[in-house]
Amino acid sequence: MERFIADLVKRFETGNISRRDFCEGVALAATVYAAGGADANAQAPASGLRMLGVNHISYSCPDYRKARDFYSSVLGMEKLKDDGKARVNLAFGPAPGKGGSFIVARNVAANAPAPARSVVDHVCYTLPNWNDARVNAALKAKGQNPTGRSGSVNVFDPFNFQVQLASSEAENPFI
Amino acid sequence: MEGFVATKLNEFEQGKISRRTLIEMLTLAVTTVHAAEAQTAAPAGVKAALINHISYTCPNFKQAGDWYSKVFNLDQVGLKETEVTLPFGKKGEQPYNVTAKDVPLTFLLCRTRDLNAPLPNGGGPRPKSTALINHVGYTVADFERNRVRDQLKAMGVANVRDGGLYSLHMTDPFGYDVQISGLANNALTDG
Repeated sequence: MERFIADLVKRFETGNISRRDFCEGVALAATVYAAGGADANAQAPASGLRMLGVNHISYSCPDYRKARDFYSSVLGMEKLKDDGKARVNLAFGPAPGKGGSFIVARNVAANAPAPARSVVDHVCYTLPNWNDARVNAALKAKGQNPTGRSGSVNVFDPFNFQVQLASSEAENPFI
Repeated sequence: MEGFVATKLNEFEQGKISRRTLIEMLTLAVTTVHAAEAQTAAPAGVKAALINHISYTCPNFKQAGDWYSKVFNLDQVGLKETEVTLPFGKKGEQPYNVTAKDVPLTFLLCRTRDLNAPLPNGGGPRPKSTALINHVGYTVADFERNRVRDQLKAMGVANVRDGGLYSLHMTDPFGYDVQISGLANNALTDG
């Protein structure tokens, strides 16, 4: 990264790039770094893709407004591109375009395809700075009834979809 | 970020900081800005930082695990009788630099199980949901649609098709819709 920045400075000093290009170049480098590092983005594997993360979850339900209100109120997600009719993006984590994920909450389509033979039966979200008492109290204050164990609780959204919340210790792929 | 860069560039041009200092400060900023933002944004209540895992139940978890491993180059860990875990990276890696220690990598949990069974830890019976996650979108590195489309078809992936401006859709072995894109597809551009 330092070499990349040094090259940018050199190109700016020699007039090969403008001040604006310089600033945008550094900002872009920050975005790429956050999304898995420059190497990850520059090198696709020989076979298959390189996974960076979940981009979005497409959530279909009878009334997207109830889902919108639940996920924004209970989980602190940001409402974006709400069309007021049938869908909204609910963003969380890093900023959009910099690794953030989002739920697309939408009303059930009239021409929905036949269901698959598999199902996503729940989604678990990581909460930083986990504290059992604080998490349970916060959920109860929002009218939820959390159940579970230390470091991990389950609630159900307005359409009875299971939502798990967990700490890094309780739900870690390598523990 | 751009405002910070412009400020430092001004200081460099005015002789307030050296060329070496400019490079060091910008390098430090690029590699720590997201972690710093995440740390300072630690919530007082409940706020999702990242998806921890997706629980995917299907008729044959091994077949699902093998497919996702092959297409997305994912390792398999924690093999059990009815499930296998596919982390989105190697042990010790940080997802998007969200925080230094507190947010683990996302993982896909492929399972074969009875969804009518009660939830563990006293959670009681699982109610029937009227909502459905009809597809999951994944972000992949170095996404270039034409190249990736050819790559997927060469791997024998079924039903590969364009989605919107920035993505591709495909179908996994159980008919589940899987979308892939780069960072260009996000909450500000989708929809």
